[in-house]
Amino acid sequence: MSQTQTPANASAADRGPTAAERFINGILPENPTYRQMLGMCPTLAITNGMRSAMTMAAAVLFVLVCANAMISLIRGLLKPHLRILVFTLTIAAFVTIVDRLLAAYMYDMSKQLGPYVPLIIVNCIIISRCEVCAAKQSLPIAIADAVGQSLGFALALASIATIREILGAGTWFGLRVLPAAWPAWVIMVLPPGAFITLGLLMGSVNWFLARRQEARG
Amino acid sequence: MRNNYLVEAWLVIVLGVVFGGALAGVQATLADRIAQNKLDETRSQIPALVPGASKEASSEVEVDGVRVFRASSPEGQLGWVIPCGGQGFADRIELLVGVDLRVERITGLYVLEQKETPGLGAKIMDERLFRSQFAGKTAARSLVVTKQGAKTDREIDAITGATISSMAVCSIVNETLARVRDGLLAALPKE
Amino acid sequence: MEYVSSLVLIAVSAAFINNFVLYYSVGICPYLGVSRRVDMAFGMGCAVTFVISIAACLSWALTVFVLRPGAPLATWVWHWLRPDSAGVVDLSILNYLVYIFVIASSVQFVEMYLRKFFPPLYKSFGIYLPLITTNCAILFACLEIMKHVSGVPAAQLWDLGRALALAAFGGVGFTIAIVLMAGMREDLDLCDVPQALRGPGIALIVAGILAMAFMGFTGVDRNLAALLR
Repeated sequence: MSQTQTPANASAADRGPTAAERFINGILPENPTYRQMLGMCPTLAITNGMRSAMTMAAAVLFVLVCANAMISLIRGLLKPHLRILVFTLTIAAFVTIVDRLLAAYMYDMSKQLGPYVPLIIVNCIIISRCEVCAAKQSLPIAIADAVGQSLGFALALASIATIREILGAGTWFGLRVLPAAWPAWVIMVLPPGAFITLGLLMGSVNWFLARRQEARG
Repeated sequence: MRNNYLVEAWLVIVLGVVFGGALAGVQATLADRIAQNKLDETRSQIPALVPGASKEASSEVEVDGVRVFRASSPEGQLGWVIPCGGQGFADRIELLVGVDLRVERITGLYVLEQKETPGLGAKIMDERLFRSQFAGKTAARSLVVTKQGAKTDREIDAITGATISSMAVCSIVNETLARVRDGLLAALPKE
Repeated sequence: MEYVSSLVLIAVSAAFINNFVLYYSVGICPYLGVSRRVDMAFGMGCAVTFVISIAACLSWALTVFVLRPGAPLATWVWHWLRPDSAGVVDLSILNYLVYIFVIASSVQFVEMYLRKFFPPLYKSFGIYLPLITTNCAILFACLEIMKHVSGVPAAQLWDLGRALALAAFGGVGFTIAIVLMAGMREDLDLCDVPQALRGPGIALIVAGILAMAFMGFTGVDRNLAALLR
């Protein structure tokens, strides 16, 4: 194995990104929504309020951390053509657990999120992280990666949900922030508002990154 | 070849058994709590729908094939709470109607589920804007929706811009009360 | 006749009023990824419709007969093992696991079928065929069917016809949405889109406008129901 043969001061690229690198990357540089464009379905569906968006982000954090941890622990046992099956089995089990926990302890939120919690199973973010990181690197790195990506996802959800909730209902987390005279842009809390908000935000992110690229020369 | 596949699949089988056991454990731990949440959803509204009734003293019965609640206080039954539903403007609306003991007056209305237009039809959930006017209306004759301002105990003010949702709620209430009135009166506790 | 009208209402609702992509926002990843050309989009839509229908039938059967509380097969096996036990046999905790395996198997089956009988079509799909497994729309259809089948009283249980109507026409709605999008993106390629918005940005905005257009279908099922009565 290359890991035992390389000298201690070998470059980090030989062993893969460190835990800190994985964590930082997940938040902005490899943001799952804006850079990797994974996990679009919940991003559009449950961002009509901050409360549901943050609950979804917490659920994804739970599933991602548990799944990454589990896959990282058994990574030596994975056979190449059965590994997707193992990923799916692990993710489905943890999603069932988080779904039941929500139904038991946050029943109203569970009803509001509806079918989107079980849809975490097919959320590409989790399978992609299992494949790219957890199946190849050790437990601490896998967990750091999971936390970083979840934070990035939460950030993306928060950015969309803030715009949609404030413009669409005049509230944030249910607290009124705009005066009652504000004519609520109802379209923002409906599906079209989700699409348009995400499209414009993506455009802004791309524009900002292009400007930064130009400034660097 | 077949032997090879089985050997390679041992991890999947072991994981399947482990996760199956874990999920069974989750089910055993949480199932009661979840069932209680589902029941509470309706029951916790009973005190608001029939003044004086308490969640604990009320019981569920079946009248003419319809699930209803005897809204009771420790002293005795005060009224009925009837879950009902029907087609709204956009999708199905689920309601709870509270009536007095002899099904003469409506004592309250609560919207359990609706998918009406946010900001317009969704206002049927609002206590102040829509639901509060149901308390005191007659349960003996059908309600009608008016846009000019309700004057009699049969009329309900429609929400501006959401006439169809308001009419849907009234027609659900009318149909349900007409269907269960006789059964409820027959199921009254004997004096 | 009432049965047929209920099927029509379910179909119209799944395809247009509550369109999987434009109302429920499921199936977005392939929707943005494969909608660059009309022929590819149509092929993807057909494949998704096919897989959804198979997966829905299998998941309906498994839920009704094995998984739901009080399911006949599970109850029979349990009483055969322990004849004197009371209580309801409830395997519904395994719902999600079973559904995802059904979907993965359906996609495998479709892959094998295409590779054997339509090799050029199989090659043109490339990586996108196995990716249908992670298409939210298919799992979503299974979950919608589960809502009407698991934990509901026997009188309101959905039969296979209704489940299949929901799934198949949900797929049809997906196909309509993705083909419309592909047509528009083909034209957009010739337009002067701002650099920052090129690609997913403008696609999402166009999808938003499409979703607004589809909002015009609200209430069609209510009037259709009155018409069919």
